[in-house]
Amino acid sequence: MNAEGPIPNAEGQENKTGELSAAPGVSSAPGGEAGADLLATHIVRAIGVRKVFTMGGEKVHALKGVDFKVKRGEYVAIMGPSGSGKSTLFNMIGGLDKPNAGKVFIDEVDIAALNTFELAWLRCHKIGYIFQTFNLIPVATALDNVMLPMLFADVPQAEAQDKAVELLRKVGLGERIFHKPVQMSGGQQQRVAVARALANDPAIVLADEPTGNLDSATGHQIIELLREINRSEGVTVITATHDYKMLSVSDRIAWLTDGVIERFVEREALDIREGQTDAR
Amino acid sequence: MPETEKIAILPYRKVFQIAWQGLRIRLVKTFLVTSCITLALAFLTYILVSNGLAAQVAERASEALRQRLAREGLLEQMLSPEQRSQTAWMLGIALMISFVGIVNAMLISVTERFREIGTMKCLGGLDSFIVKLYLFESLCQGVVGTLLGMAIGAALAYAEGVSRFGAEAWSLLPATALLRTLAISFLSGVGLTVLGALYPAWTAARMEPVEAMRNEV
Ligand SMILES: Nc1ncnc2c1ncn2[C@@H]1O[C@H](COP(=O)(O)OP(=O)(O)O)[C@@H](O)[C@H]1O
Ligand SMILES: [Mg+2]
Repeated sequence: MNAEGPIPNAEGQENKTGELSAAPGVSSAPGGEAGADLLATHIVRAIGVRKVFTMGGEKVHALKGVDFKVKRGEYVAIMGPSGSGKSTLFNMIGGLDKPNAGKVFIDEVDIAALNTFELAWLRCHKIGYIFQTFNLIPVATALDNVMLPMLFADVPQAEAQDKAVELLRKVGLGERIFHKPVQMSGGQQQRVAVARALANDPAIVLADEPTGNLDSATGHQIIELLREINRSEGVTVITATHDYKMLSVSDRIAWLTDGVIERFVEREALDIREGQTDAR
Repeated sequence: MPETEKIAILPYRKVFQIAWQGLRIRLVKTFLVTSCITLALAFLTYILVSNGLAAQVAERASEALRQRLAREGLLEQMLSPEQRSQTAWMLGIALMISFVGIVNAMLISVTERFREIGTMKCLGGLDSFIVKLYLFESLCQGVVGTLLGMAIGAALAYAEGVSRFGAEAWSLLPATALLRTLAISFLSGVGLTVLGALYPAWTAARMEPVEAMRNEV
């Protein structure tokens, strides 16, 4: 997946900063073998990311210097109350918006250094996005929605169609490939979005409040679906959420409060302190 | 894997196909926007052609027609300063209606799809794809709406001309003058439609995807 694309791999000069800023709870690569291994294991590295919004002359510090690393194949939940900056962080990691300060590396490529063409390539091939509001193309069928990213990736029509049908089957919508978004329930629309996110075999699936507009049971199915994809395909999953159902499936949780990552909790620690997690 | 590790600059034919499909699926909206263009252009063309006809009467009408018009007091009225200023007013209003009507219709129909544009950018759509998509969509609507409007406007103007000046109305406007008038109508109609669509589409295409998705009207 690495070096083949048009995106040049960044040199290792940023590694020092990365290691120094290792946030509490993140187990960075052990001792001596830092350099090469770090490159290989961290698919996402955010370093000192800040974002300031200006609204009516007033400055809102949405992210106040966030350090965040994700290992390949991990399932990470960014948890925090509404307004804590989850979506802002999500957008920074996904290359959907630019930070005011700090850097984001995807597969050790500094996304601020990419031109629009390379950025489109990254969004097309490396990352699959899932949104709270599904964001399907309203006039297109489920099939066409799933085929769209493959069209952008120049996959031949027939191949794209076969793959889209297969993906829709996988998310349990084999019978509804010709349905339009309005003809589907929220849960079904989100399944289409999951299938679409997987269209170009991304290394990362980013999901911003994927269960936010779904009832509890449907939300649970989507969470399980993401978990299954994470397990079977080895896709890194990063979700921003305040849905506590996410806790049980995540490998690691980043607690975000007021634009700062307060702490990371590993899954093992979570199991031990299960009683307390409800209180949080 | 390397085979699929591409980002496509989709061929024009493909983008046109997508644009056309979109227009057909959004049938009602396409119809509404197109009829807006048609109405504006019918008005503009009607004013341009009937003004042209009236202007030619003084110079090219036959003696018989002139005498008849003079008898009815129409000739004097047509050449009066009030009539001239009224003509200018009507033309101004027609241009304004076309501009505001068409540009407004296109602006709204594109800005309400900002989220879609942002989503397409998330999926790997290039800025140029989005601009081309809206270029083709607006070209289709602009050409169809404008041609229809021109036909209606010219037909009305000639029908009125025939009722006032008799069969002679058909030959009053020289072919070159008529063609020039129709060319002005066509270019205004298509030009305003494409500009009205491309301006917001271009703006949205250059935005960061989140901005485009947030900016939904
Ligand atoms: N486009 C924006 N303009 C101004 N303020 C914003 C914008 N987007 C987010 N914010 C602010 O940034 C903070 C974090 O927002 P967000 O990342 O959406 O939080 P969350 O997703 O955790 O609910 C909030 O205070 C929010 O009001
Ligand atoms: Mg949010």
